[in-house]
Amino acid sequence: MASNRQESERYSLVAVMELVRSGRAKTRLEIERQSGLGRAVVTDRLATLAELGLVEEGELGPAIGGRAPRRIRFRADAGRILVATLDHSTIGVGLADLAGQLRVEHYEATDVALAPAGALQRLDTLFDWVQEQYQESREIWGIGLGVPGSLDWDEVWLTESLVARHRAPVWVRSLVQLMTVGEFGVRAVAGMTERDFLYVELGDEITAGFVSDGRLHRGAHGVAGRIGHIAIGSSTEVCRCGNVGCLELMAGGEALVREAQKAAHDGRSRTLIQVLEASGQITVADIGFSARLGDAVCAELLSRCGQQIGHALAAVINTINPATVVLGGEVARTGDILLAAIREAVYRHATPLVTRDLRIIRSQMGRSAGLVGAGLLAVDALFAADRLGAWITAGTPLRHPEVATLLARVAREGGR
Amino acid sequence: MPVAGLGPHGERGAPLEQLDLSEADAAVARTREFRVVVVLHTMASDWAKQELKGMAATLDSFGATMAEVVDCAFSVEMQIAALNRLVREGPDAIISIPVGGSAVAEAHRRVSRAGIRLVLLDNGPTGLLPGTDYVSVVSADNFGLGTIGAQLLAPHIANRGKVGILSYQADFFATNEREIAFRKWMASERPDIQLKAVKFPDVGAVAAALNPFLDANADLAGLFAVWDVPAMEAVHVLRARAQSLPMTTIDLGNQAAIALACGDVIKGIGAQRAYDQGVAGAKAAIAALLGRDPPPWVVLPGLPTTSENVTQVYRRIWHEVPPPEMLEQRPD
Repeated sequence: MASNRQESERYSLVAVMELVRSGRAKTRLEIERQSGLGRAVVTDRLATLAELGLVEEGELGPAIGGRAPRRIRFRADAGRILVATLDHSTIGVGLADLAGQLRVEHYEATDVALAPAGALQRLDTLFDWVQEQYQESREIWGIGLGVPGSLDWDEVWLTESLVARHRAPVWVRSLVQLMTVGEFGVRAVAGMTERDFLYVELGDEITAGFVSDGRLHRGAHGVAGRIGHIAIGSSTEVCRCGNVGCLELMAGGEALVREAQKAAHDGRSRTLIQVLEASGQITVADIGFSARLGDAVCAELLSRCGQQIGHALAAVINTINPATVVLGGEVARTGDILLAAIREAVYRHATPLVTRDLRIIRSQMGRSAGLVGAGLLAVDALFAADRLGAWITAGTPLRHPEVATLLARVAREGGR
Repeated sequence: MPVAGLGPHGERGAPLEQLDLSEADAAVARTREFRVVVVLHTMASDWAKQELKGMAATLDSFGATMAEVVDCAFSVEMQIAALNRLVREGPDAIISIPVGGSAVAEAHRRVSRAGIRLVLLDNGPTGLLPGTDYVSVVSADNFGLGTIGAQLLAPHIANRGKVGILSYQADFFATNEREIAFRKWMASERPDIQLKAVKFPDVGAVAAALNPFLDANADLAGLFAVWDVPAMEAVHVLRARAQSLPMTTIDLGNQAAIALACGDVIKGIGAQRAYDQGVAGAKAAIAALLGRDPPPWVVLPGLPTTSENVTQVYRRIWHEVPPPEMLEQRPD
């Protein structure tokens, strides 16, 4: 009998928490209406959640006949999430609150050939520094980490090493999927209501993330989105995936740089010759800048690249029918010539039905999208309905039975 | 010197040259008579004075007016109040150095939402995005500067020595980057050196933080300060204690430059090109006002400065003749 009552209390606590956290209910009255719970129960649960530090009262809302209601808010400040992204050239680390808002972010170049142990050590050092510098008396409730799908590290070793060092649960996901979550999440906060969304990362690799009806599509093995290996032409050059004609081999960052280097060596572009002489190398950013200065060769390279990408994207857009496509990554940042070429190819090759109201835009978030996504992912996992019930009465997910078991096991097994 | 760091959102930095405007653009700018306001964390530092000079000269060359300079005295509240006032007054552009990271993000966002072009110096507060919330961040390669601080201090530290980091306890991208880079270089190249941070919340509190730290670490072999003003506070503290420690810091302020020329305590400085950064900030503002699309992060590499080259570096970054006290020690 007592345990039924406790179970019922826990159930209603979770229901109220979720309504407040999602923003679907902002006042007591809205909570009562949406949950179907009585006034006394809602009042009691809110008091409990406030004591636990998970909700707080905010400003007065508009009155609708009667006293103005007090807004109820989720306390995003109740805990912190350590977030990080690793790709082949950059480590990013940050500290996020429980609404996924970053408190601090830092990025640095990493050695492409950095062995896992070295990368992990650097991650630990940066996590330690962030916590030391931002001593905000908030527990670290979890760690979110984005890694490239093509990284073949031992994920179990990586996860358990982080758990052992930082004493918090860890979620590791494909980097482009986290960037998709980050971009989508920021747009949602800004009031954009689309629920079907495509994010495309255009770099040396070309990858994508899909949100369908508001949910990230991860795929059977969590690696959905490898659109860089869509075949767009024939070529004798073999991609690292083993096929020929892959999109990223023909139109990725490395392909662009290769073509630009050829143009410089052949003497076709004065600007690129100057770049090569000045710094000994040509980067994707140099190609973009040269095109903006009016270099015809660079403009043509970017236009051709954009056409190839757009053609492949048209097939993806035909298939999944997103409302918005956001383009990120170094190649996307080269500027308007590429963007126009992509748009033109998409509108030419995709059916009018899917392009009628389609928006294709450039990301403004840079690498921040990955860190934001890592934070949102970790928080969503901590507050998932099936998980929340097991820790909500303790006020911290670190007291979830599974977390306690995980920490004990990792400590026993000695971490690394 | 190549750029070592990445931007506030992981961007690769664009060089100053990417802000160059065509003569046609310049002519259009002169007819528009833009009004630009500058909001600084302090007017007391030589860095700030040099940035202002660079901005003033550049705005003038494009027919723009520097309508006001606001000194926020490192106060978050003062900066928020100033920005709110400026939103009402509506200049064409604001060039601002955010004093408090995410604490001032919303106030800066309001500036952009009001249609005022916003260029940020040194820091892009976490939460603000290029394009939507600001035009450009113009900064030194702070990561590179921290690396220079480590490189110039290391030769003065014996094997297994202990080095203190005079660390700014504030949400400030520039000083964060310098400290991270300093630590990274030391861990990689001098893993024998032990690092200990002493944090100060503001410049006025340096002595109060440093004295007990020096008492507790009598075996300290060197010190790195994240910029020149607290560095000079540390020099005064050391002098008062009749103590000498090799130090490196960032920014070739007048006092620090003279101290470097004398060669006793300060052994090396990662010098920012503050005047040139001011030029870049002003150009980014004009470019944005003309509807051009400046890069989200414009970065200027720092200059490693020792007593050997301090007068040359001084001329280059100050665009002035070095003070007599420096020339006495280090004639050209």
